Amino acid sequence: MTSEEAPGPRDIAVVAFAQTDHRRSTAESSEVEMLMPVLHDVLDRTGLRTSDIGFTCSGSSDYLAGRAFSFTLALDGVGAWPPISESHVEMDGAWALYEAWTKLLTGDADTALVYSYGKCSPGSVRDVLTRQLDPYYVAPLWPDAIALAALQAQALIDAGHTDEPALAAVAARSRSDAAANPHAQLAGRVPQGDYVVRPLRTGDCPPVGDGAAAVILAAGERARRLCERPAWIRGIDHRIEAHGLGVRDLTDSPSTRLAAERAGAFERPVDTAELHAPFSAQEVVLRRALRLDDTVRVNPSGGALAANPVMAAGLVRIGEAAARIHRGASDRALAHATSGPCLQQNLVAVLEGDPR
Amino acid sequence: MPDVLSAPLVVEFPFTRSLGPVQSAFLTGLRERVLLGVRTNDGRTLVPPVEYDPVTAEEIRDLVEVAPTGTVTTWAWNHAPRRGQPLDTPFAWVLVRLDGADTALLHALDAPGPDAVHTGMRVRVRWAAERSGAITDIACFEPYDGEAARPTGHSGAFADAVSGVVVPARLDYTYSPGRAQSDYIRALAERRTVGERCPSCRKVYVPPRGACPTCGVATAEHVEVGPRGTVTTFCIVNIKAKNLDIEVPYVYAHIALDGADLALHARIGGIPYDQVRMGLRVEPVWTEGTRHPDHYRPTGEPDAAYDTYKELL
Repeated sequence: MTSEEAPGPRDIAVVAFAQTDHRRSTAESSEVEMLMPVLHDVLDRTGLRTSDIGFTCSGSSDYLAGRAFSFTLALDGVGAWPPISESHVEMDGAWALYEAWTKLLTGDADTALVYSYGKCSPGSVRDVLTRQLDPYYVAPLWPDAIALAALQAQALIDAGHTDEPALAAVAARSRSDAAANPHAQLAGRVPQGDYVVRPLRTGDCPPVGDGAAAVILAAGERARRLCERPAWIRGIDHRIEAHGLGVRDLTDSPSTRLAAERAGAFERPVDTAELHAPFSAQEVVLRRALRLDDTVRVNPSGGALAANPVMAAGLVRIGEAAARIHRGASDRALAHATSGPCLQQNLVAVLEGDPR
Repeated sequence: MPDVLSAPLVVEFPFTRSLGPVQSAFLTGLRERVLLGVRTNDGRTLVPPVEYDPVTAEEIRDLVEVAPTGTVTTWAWNHAPRRGQPLDTPFAWVLVRLDGADTALLHALDAPGPDAVHTGMRVRVRWAAERSGAITDIACFEPYDGEAARPTGHSGAFADAVSGVVVPARLDYTYSPGRAQSDYIRALAERRTVGERCPSCRKVYVPPRGACPTCGVATAEHVEVGPRGTVTTFCIVNIKAKNLDIEVPYVYAHIALDGADLALHARIGGIPYDQVRMGLRVEPVWTEGTRHPDHYRPTGEPDAAYDTYKELL
């Protein structure tokens, strides 16, 4: 096959997005009971049924709720019969979306259902997240998620990249924007509060909560039939840094920058950025790495400071960015998801709507 | 919010991990109060040392001793220490670049308060009184205003090097089974088995989990099933389980309760293990103080015909 005959990569778009209201506790629901209404919602938006979906991929972590193989029970909400083509990542749903995107690129499927969920309420997410750390040198010290984020925040302050009032402003802007987001857990005027781990105050930290999100991807003409204004994925890339905290420059995010470059984020300006920055100081890092200036609308949803269902909060960023394109509020948006301590691993997606 | 059941759930086990040669040298060194780094091929010294270069992924084995004194590169004040953390009084989390190292080590700094801590301050290792070859052999760091300590030039070779670590882990949860399973457990407390029917395919699931796994829709209609049922398939257990006071061999079976479209599983008693068969009719045996049937026993009815349960295998 000559290069003239080789088909180009397929155009793939986010055609629908749904999420739960994110709440401090969903003790009245099992994981599948919490997730299933979101799956029905996202399918209803396209008129598709499970049997129409070519590939299903999900993201979650058993450590959150302390239930082994919880994702297999969550599949009950999909209706996986006759047997479906399915996969799961023990990661944020943004990485499940990445897998689904590559599956559609191969041409093996034309549509994909991507979902993720997290129940933080049964356990202590601060402590749960210590279990992802180096088990030899770090995890035995039980440094919790807020402590590690605080080390990063202090490094940023020492480097002159931010200060406590600037961090408070990030937190206030996020919760203020979240007032327009009916799914947000923490919105409106929220006091900055006392230090949790100094220099981070309560207001600099995400709310702890439960929630789920789902997205439908479709390729080419299929996407146009399912959605009035598809959010075309122009590029996605994800990169990871060393696990050793003391090896990294915590004031920078070279993995985000590289992922953004590979996703084509710097080719033209974006008008919107949905950043997965669970801690206020991490937005400072990401804005610099992504070269976002004041012309870019950052986290109009309120971001992870307004709702942080762990394992779903990254997928929610892609969904929120796509939803803005669907409703004509954005033409070119960047969505970012993170994983690991202090922004260790980062995914960047660039989404565009058709010209109006 | 409807009344939901909840119960404490503790997930706890020791992780036993073997060590690579560099990790072994480092942790054995801590036991002997010697701090070791590893040199990368471009001449940087990594502390804590790793087996592979974090930039090039090259295998690195060149151990080099560094000093027990160093400089804080960033810090965070922890006014409320949590379980398992190095100190139980307020302390600073610190990244410390030891003298002679190019990277920083995470640990705790024992200081009187946040005003006594700053980036760039000098600290030294406070060794734990009892050391076993673990990162916790460093009790913490403490402020230090003396000269940089000099390494002794240790080779990194030790007699009796540690080859593994056992790291206990414990996470505490409050388990809530959700709406459907709460209803099921409540009914069991009245010695009734209540499943739920799928509004689409009409199948009755026991135990119910709130969703029909075939149709992907919510189940809600309660359907009392059993108490009698049919053994659809079974196995003979010959290995005694730890903490389980049941004589082997015994039979564990799938049982389709009358009215249910999904078999549940339970032990079969009241019949020699080698006489249990597919189609055997059974009923639950409850004992005082338990929340579910202790086991199922034969009812004495004639066996069920294969056609009546073949869809439930």
